[in-house]
Amino acid sequence: MNTSNPNDLLARFFGESGKTLLVKDSLITGYAQVLTQNVAVIGTCDGTYIDNAAALRLASLVIDCIENHPQMPIVMLVDSAGQEPSRTCEMLGLASFFGHLLSCLQLARQNGHKLITIATGKAIGGAFICYGMFGDRIEALDSASVGLMPIEAMSAVTKIPAATLTALSKTMPALEFGAEPFALLGGVDEVWSADVNVPEKLAAVISSSTQEDHRAELGKKRGGRKWAFDVQNRVLAESAK
Amino acid sequence: MKRASLYHEQTARKRIASLVDPGSFTELLPPPERVVSPYLPLLDIPVSFDDGLVIGRATLGGKPVYLAAQVGQFVGGSVGEVHSAKLTGILKAAARDAIPCLLLVESGGVRLHEGSSGEIGISEAMRAVFECRAKGVPTIAVIGADIGAYGGMGILVTCCDFRIMTEHGRLGISGPIVIEKWMGKQAYDSSNRALVWKTSGGKTKYLLNDADVLTHDDSASVGAAIGELLSKSQPITLGGLKTRQQELEKRLGDFGKTSDPEEIWKAFGIADIGEASLASGPEFVALAKRKTP
Amino acid sequence: MEKFDKTFPSKSFSWPPDKEWAIAGVVGSGNLEVLFERNTESPNTMECHVESSIPGYEDSWLAALEDFAANYPAGGTKVTIHDQGAAPIVVTFRLRQAYDHLLQKIS
Repeated sequence: MNTSNPNDLLARFFGESGKTLLVKDSLITGYAQVLTQNVAVIGTCDGTYIDNAAALRLASLVIDCIENHPQMPIVMLVDSAGQEPSRTCEMLGLASFFGHLLSCLQLARQNGHKLITIATGKAIGGAFICYGMFGDRIEALDSASVGLMPIEAMSAVTKIPAATLTALSKTMPALEFGAEPFALLGGVDEVWSADVNVPEKLAAVISSSTQEDHRAELGKKRGGRKWAFDVQNRVLAESAK
Repeated sequence: MKRASLYHEQTARKRIASLVDPGSFTELLPPPERVVSPYLPLLDIPVSFDDGLVIGRATLGGKPVYLAAQVGQFVGGSVGEVHSAKLTGILKAAARDAIPCLLLVESGGVRLHEGSSGEIGISEAMRAVFECRAKGVPTIAVIGADIGAYGGMGILVTCCDFRIMTEHGRLGISGPIVIEKWMGKQAYDSSNRALVWKTSGGKTKYLLNDADVLTHDDSASVGAAIGELLSKSQPITLGGLKTRQQELEKRLGDFGKTSDPEEIWKAFGIADIGEASLASGPEFVALAKRKTP
Repeated sequence: MEKFDKTFPSKSFSWPPDKEWAIAGVVGSGNLEVLFERNTESPNTMECHVESSIPGYEDSWLAALEDFAANYPAGGTKVTIHDQGAAPIVVTFRLRQAYDHLLQKIS
């Protein structure tokens, strides 16, 4: 099964009900079922770039879900290479469109909708942070390209030789690009291997997820981000005095 | 006679001192605690005692606030693991104590040197902003430095209740060099300051209602704007989101076909582009006819 | 990165009762940050620790610090510097700026 084909991917996640989802301009929106549970679905595919119109289309589905389907879980699929870096997108305020999408997801959370993310392909930078990383639980297929940017790009911007960054990445998973290192940092809960029964896994995550952001604690436990949790808690403790 | 320094020229610590009631600021995780980046030394880059983010508590006009001020000169104000954890911590403290949180933003976004740790850290800070919003605790971002608020920080400020900008501030995700690389110098010349500021600067953001207030580039004006907003918050409601959705759809409809910010200025009643370009924040506000929904 | 430590004799500094530390400067290109902290154990010395991203200027650093210790009562302080290539004149300026913060001359 070729999970880079959106229709195959949707069949894998939602079975027959995947066919009712709208896949248009590399965006996925609609309602489907995970096993027998009704869910709302928003997502990207084909490694697309997210622009202003795309953010609004995803936001529109979230608003519809809040209005018409109380407490229905929202499944967020991510396969996007980043935000559209065009002059018009920036002029029109892409950052604010992303803030709007995040605010819609926040109201959904406040109203009791569970937010579950699965990175299925590319899950990079602004495209990931504007919806996927806002999930209560964030999962990734082991084939997903999750991260900030590849080392070559980091090297070009920072002027630090790629060889230096690559060598450092062996002991510093924050520099490594991929689902596994991202999981070590606490950014992904679990990496799903190719043979996993997705609907069962997804149903279990939906059932067990809670709302608190436990990524810093996870990053400390797994050793990929050793300081964030303690520094956050230190600020909370010092400010309580 | 010494001219008072402009907001965009001030260091983070000077900005705090200029805004808060004299002597009221207590820094949290102050420099002697040496909560520094564990990663930068591995790259032979000097650390900073505050990792580029000064946090603490103060009063503004007698009202308690939590604050976080970014240090733009330190690795471009970029956000690494410790920096983002301080930011998340102070926002969580604000939510816990129901005390407004003020963010003095000056950042290019995630600190590349620390890879994904800064990216996840900014996402955690976003969740903390929304924790405040869910409890009706005001979050106010000031974007008045030349570096602006870009990348993940650009997105984060749009999650706050309010944004105060000056004509020096810029708000976006992709910086000018990235856009130039993507589109070519013909389509977008990143060295053209006027173009960059018309695309992403405070004046245009104010017209589009992405900035709530456009003030003078000085602490007194910024402080006055903050004071007005300290007792307000913008709860997230279904009605509010639907209004904003319509507003953004209209924006796309009205201006989506152009790449020229001057079209936006003209549409909002700016008759003389040259005059408006040279105007200060408040002068620009007077020249424009912005309609807020 | 170059790191070194040196302690200089200096007349005892009279610490204001409510001050434990003061900082000046920023770690940026051509700049540095200076932290002064109270050192109760050694009231007649200025204990310095310097970390600089530009190696090869130790003599210049030691001269600037020795000069400062000689000209100002700075005994009973610990001075820590994070430097990113500041010129000697900037170093001296930041030391004085941090010192003025200690004396609460500027906020």
